[in-house]
Amino acid sequence: MANTKKYWKGLEQFNEDAKFLESSKNEFPEHLPVDEFLGDASSLESSSTSRRDFLKFLGFGVAAASLAACETPVTKAIPYLNKPEEITPGVANYYASTYFDGNDYAPILVKTREGRPIFISGNTSSTLTKGAVNARVNSSVLSLYDNNRLKNPLANGKDSDWNTVDSAIKNELASAKNVRILSSTIISEATRSILFDFAAKEVKDEKGVVKGRQLDGWVQYNPISYSGIINANQETFGKGAIPTYNFKKAKTIVSIGADFMGNWLDALMYINDYAQTRKPDNDWMSKHYQFEANMSLSGTNADVRVPVKPSEYGAVVAQILNKLGGGVSAAATKYDTYIDAVVKALKATAGESIVVCGSNDKNVQVLVNGINNLLGNYGNTIDLVRQSNTKKGDDAELLKLIKEMNAGEVDALFIYGVDPVATLGDEFKAALAKVKLSVSFASKLNDTAATCKYVCPDNHGLESWNDANPVEGHYSLAQPTISKLFNTRQAQESFLTWKGNNTSYYDYLKAYWEANIFTKQTNQLFFTDFWNKALHDGVVEISTQSTEVLSFNADLNAAYTAVKTIKGGELEIVLTQNMGIGDGAGADNPWLQEMPDPLTKVTWDNYVTMNPAEMLDRGYNINLGQEQLANVVNVTVNGKTVENLPVVAQPGQAKGTIGVALGYGKKVGNMSEPTGKNAYPLVTLTENGLSYYGVATLADVSMEYHVAATQTQQTIMGRDSIIRETVLDVYKKGNKEDYNPAHTLLFHEKGEAIQKSVKEIDLWGAQPVENIGHRWGMSIDLNTCIGCSACVTSCVSENNIAVIGKDEVRRGRIMHWMRIDRYYSSDYQEIGKIGDTHEKTKAGDNVGGISAYAKMERAADNPMVVHQPMMCQHCNHAGCETVCPVAATTHSNEGLNMMAYNRCIGTRYCANNCAYKVRRFNWYNYKAYNKFTEVNPSQDDLGRMVLNPDVVVRSRGVMEKCSLCVQRIQAGKLDAKKLSAKVVDGAIQTACSSACPTNAITFGDLNDTSSKVAEGKNHNRAYLVIEEVGQQPNVYYQTKVRNLKNSEA
Amino acid sequence: MHKESAIREPLILGQDVTYSKITNDVLHTIENEPTKMWKILMTIATLIALWGVGCILYLLGTGIGTWGLNNTVGWAWDITNFVWWVGIGHAGTLISAVLLLFRQKWRMAINRPAEAMTIFAVFMAGTFPMIHMGRIWMAYWVLPLPNQFGSLWVNFNSPLLWDVFAITTYMSVSLVFWYIGLIPDFATIRDRAKKPVPKLMYALLSFGWTGNAKAWQRFEEVSLVLAGLATPLVFSVHSIVSMDFATSVIPGWHTTIFPPYFVAGAVFSGFAMVQTLMIIVRKAMRLEQYVTIKHIEYMNIVIIVTGSIVGVAYLTELFMSYYSGVEYESYAFINRFSGPYAWAYWTMMTCNVVSPHLFWFKKLRTSLGFTFFMSIIVNIGMWFERFVIIVTSVHRDYLPSSWSMFYPTWVDLGVYIGTIGIFSVFYLLFLKYFPVLAFNEVKSILKSSGEKYKNMSDEEFKKLHPVKK
Repeated sequence: MANTKKYWKGLEQFNEDAKFLESSKNEFPEHLPVDEFLGDASSLESSSTSRRDFLKFLGFGVAAASLAACETPVTKAIPYLNKPEEITPGVANYYASTYFDGNDYAPILVKTREGRPIFISGNTSSTLTKGAVNARVNSSVLSLYDNNRLKNPLANGKDSDWNTVDSAIKNELASAKNVRILSSTIISEATRSILFDFAAKEVKDEKGVVKGRQLDGWVQYNPISYSGIINANQETFGKGAIPTYNFKKAKTIVSIGADFMGNWLDALMYINDYAQTRKPDNDWMSKHYQFEANMSLSGTNADVRVPVKPSEYGAVVAQILNKLGGGVSAAATKYDTYIDAVVKALKATAGESIVVCGSNDKNVQVLVNGINNLLGNYGNTIDLVRQSNTKKGDDAELLKLIKEMNAGEVDALFIYGVDPVATLGDEFKAALAKVKLSVSFASKLNDTAATCKYVCPDNHGLESWNDANPVEGHYSLAQPTISKLFNTRQAQESFLTWKGNNTSYYDYLKAYWEANIFTKQTNQLFFTDFWNKALHDGVVEISTQSTEVLSFNADLNAAYTAVKTIKGGELEIVLTQNMGIGDGAGADNPWLQEMPDPLTKVTWDNYVTMNPAEMLDRGYNINLGQEQLANVVNVTVNGKTVENLPVVAQPGQAKGTIGVALGYGKKVGNMSEPTGKNAYPLVTLTENGLSYYGVATLADVSMEYHVAATQTQQTIMGRDSIIRETVLDVYKKGNKEDYNPAHTLLFHEKGEAIQKSVKEIDLWGAQPVENIGHRWGMSIDLNTCIGCSACVTSCVSENNIAVIGKDEVRRGRIMHWMRIDRYYSSDYQEIGKIGDTHEKTKAGDNVGGISAYAKMERAADNPMVVHQPMMCQHCNHAGCETVCPVAATTHSNEGLNMMAYNRCIGTRYCANNCAYKVRRFNWYNYKAYNKFTEVNPSQDDLGRMVLNPDVVVRSRGVMEKCSLCVQRIQAGKLDAKKLSAKVVDGAIQTACSSACPTNAITFGDLNDTSSKVAEGKNHNRAYLVIEEVGQQPNVYYQTKVRNLKNSEA
Repeated sequence: MHKESAIREPLILGQDVTYSKITNDVLHTIENEPTKMWKILMTIATLIALWGVGCILYLLGTGIGTWGLNNTVGWAWDITNFVWWVGIGHAGTLISAVLLLFRQKWRMAINRPAEAMTIFAVFMAGTFPMIHMGRIWMAYWVLPLPNQFGSLWVNFNSPLLWDVFAITTYMSVSLVFWYIGLIPDFATIRDRAKKPVPKLMYALLSFGWTGNAKAWQRFEEVSLVLAGLATPLVFSVHSIVSMDFATSVIPGWHTTIFPPYFVAGAVFSGFAMVQTLMIIVRKAMRLEQYVTIKHIEYMNIVIIVTGSIVGVAYLTELFMSYYSGVEYESYAFINRFSGPYAWAYWTMMTCNVVSPHLFWFKKLRTSLGFTFFMSIIVNIGMWFERFVIIVTSVHRDYLPSSWSMFYPTWVDLGVYIGTIGIFSVFYLLFLKYFPVLAFNEVKSILKSSGEKYKNMSDEEFKKLHPVKK
């Protein structure tokens, strides 16, 4: 039943009052005073904004305001839509690859995080380099993120696109008859094949029938040329190639001007082997003689170093050959006493020695070959059959090319991997102007690229596919670890495109390997397996049985006659490469510019090195400092002058010689001015090839120059608890007290005077970390540390260390967490403290007296050198920890001295109280302050991509220091935990220990008695730096042993 | 009424000195418009102070890198200035507290300006540990404040933390002591003030002082108690400051002799600074009758004594470095006197060890001009002492590879000069608006040590002060 009841609101409704009925049509029966309370009724009525409009505006406004308010501050983090299978955020991936820049060859391991390569270390699978890298190799990751790389191809200096450039080049090529390629040494077989396809010409016989094709338009050019060796080998053995050296077997090493540990030939293939022979605990230790003008890295590590002018290198070589009975009647030299010792040592180790020479003069190298042949080193320590391919620069071909270019005979020139306008100078530039089509593949606008018609920027090595065949039988692959950052194209692909071949270089490379490399081996049945394994391992070794027999056949006397004509001068120059910049490859890399030179410790500049005694004669300032400026000279060689080079004292520089490093004069980062001066104009190119020695004249310039050095003190000041060194026969006697005595203090106990070890004397209780859990520590062997500084840049790369630029380095504020201290010996040094090895070198000079101290600050004329890596010593009783008012630096229960950046208030008390001065303060906001915009790559969005996400970037005003790569320790512990296993010794490597090419730095758990680091700690040679201060460091050093006799020291 | 021996030289000179004259002499600067000289000095001081504030702001905005410090020398002018100012801040409390306990009445003429100097100097000193921090905005972390960061607490092992406590304690006790002494004087100014605003201000400052006997009795008691509290602080502050260095491992810092040596040095420099200021103030404010040559001479004697202690300390350091047989320690001192900073060492030796002994000559120690000159020399010497200790010790410590030099920048210089400017501004304000002498105290010795009364015959004195039966 429907409800029919009707309810009424009031009597008015019931009565159906007319007034009520009228008003009930409205929503509100009574008049609401809306207009009154909203304001002016008349203006409201005249307004066109209705209530609906108002609500619309209100709704829009609220929505807009809330949208704006909700915008997340992080706008750049974009999550993966489809997560790549191999990328897990926070977990690093490693890829095997290869570094080769025309000079250094190194198989590498690239660490990537979230698809960004951030760290490079050596690939230990390679039997050639055994994982050795130098600073240039591990710093190359930064140059990937260089914002000054070319972002597009250039046509006539303007940004263009690939289609335009390709069609233009193809057009011009169609009419070009004489096409030439000028490249650095190419060790990629696939690339060689592409170049062959591209530029080889048909060779016809007399009848005009095509016989085959020949690539004669390709010139390989190394700015640092070794064609003297190649030509000498051609002459003496009939094989123009660079041999491979086996330093591991060499008991006597004689180098005349060859820095085989630094930059000579394939140094990275030698240093690990060399270091193996420098361990005094082995059956034998190699003896290393070095005759050289410049103090080189090899010279600093030599047992006997003889300063010799470069013009005398030939005479020294000839005299060695003569005294060995090589049939050359050489004239006596000033160095015959040393040469007699060398000859004696060489004779005793015939067949187990290596004699090398850094001269690029063919005749000198012929004599060197004569010596090595006489000693029977070929086939034992030197292998010319298994040749090295890394340095194929041919100076004669280069000269020919320049001549042809000048004659206007070259229609097209492709310049790949070299910057000849910078290295060969204006003559090349003038010749280049006569070439119709010039194409450069430079990835940055270098001097050559700026002159070329087209620039087709090549990918960075970490964006590229490639292969390498550095030594016969050794192959390695390079694979991209990031997709191209800019609109660049790999040079190989450019060549393929211009030849009309549209395959990608990757496909080409794979096909090439399938056809050529895969077939040489028998281990793998299927190419896919072979390829995958090769890509995974990075290196492939294919044993080849060569039946090649080389016989020595040379006219040594003719060579000697030619050598005799080498003229010296009053002042001779040696043009060198330093460890950071090399031949110029590292010149635009801020990490390398800021890496202190291993010897002079100067950053950001090249300079004239000179013996301090001669500098004093000339009235130059030999002590550099923040406000102690260098004198400036112009250097002239063969009529060419390099202006305004500062002069830096180099103890050990042969008198009458100067040295200048090549490769400088380029702009770094966003800097407006180039750093250093380009010294390549001083290199002379003659019919005999490129020469890096010459007769120089100096002209004083009336200005002074700020040089930024990280270490201004030269000597150790007789402090034998910082550096301990001894000689081999003392060490072999085996009495530890003679070479590594314990620190003791005299105590008075129970009426007796007793000597107590400093270890027993302590105010504090022992740290609870001994024998419980982990105790991380390090062991550094001063015998195998050669000072190359690869660890320094590796640390910079791993730990996001700020680049601060020259001015701040000069102010003594370098941020490097680890440094390599270099000490020269002094004539006034009181070295008679340990054992019977030394004696006061200059009697009557009041050694140990007050007046001697000033003299002790001067290095000897030809000093012995020690390199000492120095980083936070992680003291168990650390001075820094007690003095921090806010406990920002504390000790972990694993023996680490830790730094809590967030807690640090920056009193710098810890840095003052650090006996090792390894703490670094953030003086400025390096990542934002405008003083560092030009130099610090971290101020650039792109440059920031190289930062290691595991390590925080420190803010202004906090202290920082070496953490023993705590992020790696944590990662290693987690890895072990996941496997429910103990941390395996060697599984955790710090950045420095992983970079060390000679394995001088060992990291590990001191509580693990079987670990290598514990072995190092318990070694007889182990000592702690300034142990008597009682800070109980966790970093142990091992006494340096020189292969000398007592009487020679 | 106690009467002093006629042999003792009077402490208040002049036959015309009466209670009201003392009040008038001290208060005429407060009750009159500032003089032209005051205005000129104030302008100069303000400009220098503003420059200093500008340098400090630049430093705080840009980073510690604007100073000349480096990886090896982490402290230089900052802590040198800090210790120098703290040292200067020593004399005031020594004069007002220690001399009060020893009932040395001559202190009454100089304790007020000396204490004012102390307060301002300690204030300047306190600036340096603050601004030398890399992150000054975290400065409150050095205080043991309960916090929500977990178990974060200060490190009680750190001498820098002891410093925080020592300096703040010393600052607060000195301030209270100084203020208590000011109360009766403020009350006098209040009572004499005619304009309403100054009257109100001084009324507030004088805490309703009535001057009745009970108030005076309590005043005396509080002064004594505070003097007792302040006396150990005189010795503790600089001892603790010295421990910043003494507890470290750096050769040249790690020296057990530091606490007494620093205290002596502090008194030495503090008295020198009092001399510098008083010689100007007594002349400018015509207070020669109250701050007499005798006062100057007494202070010079303190300078000889403390200077000699400092000299002995220097020689002891040298001997110990030799006798210790520690090569780093020996070298640190050899380097001080023969190394690249030898000029600073010999400046210090000349100013602090040699020159104070000229005060053995009575003619020199009673010469105003010479005393003023010497007071400057001593303060230069004492600045160099701190510079020598701080910089020449760290610049060449254990590892020669890290040896370095320190070169100050314009910001170093600006901040230092700036603090002198700020100090001067405070001091000039003090001279203008505060009673320069503790005149109510000075009045208490007028009858016993005033020249007029001392030279009276007993009859005259009795006539003036009839003994009521």
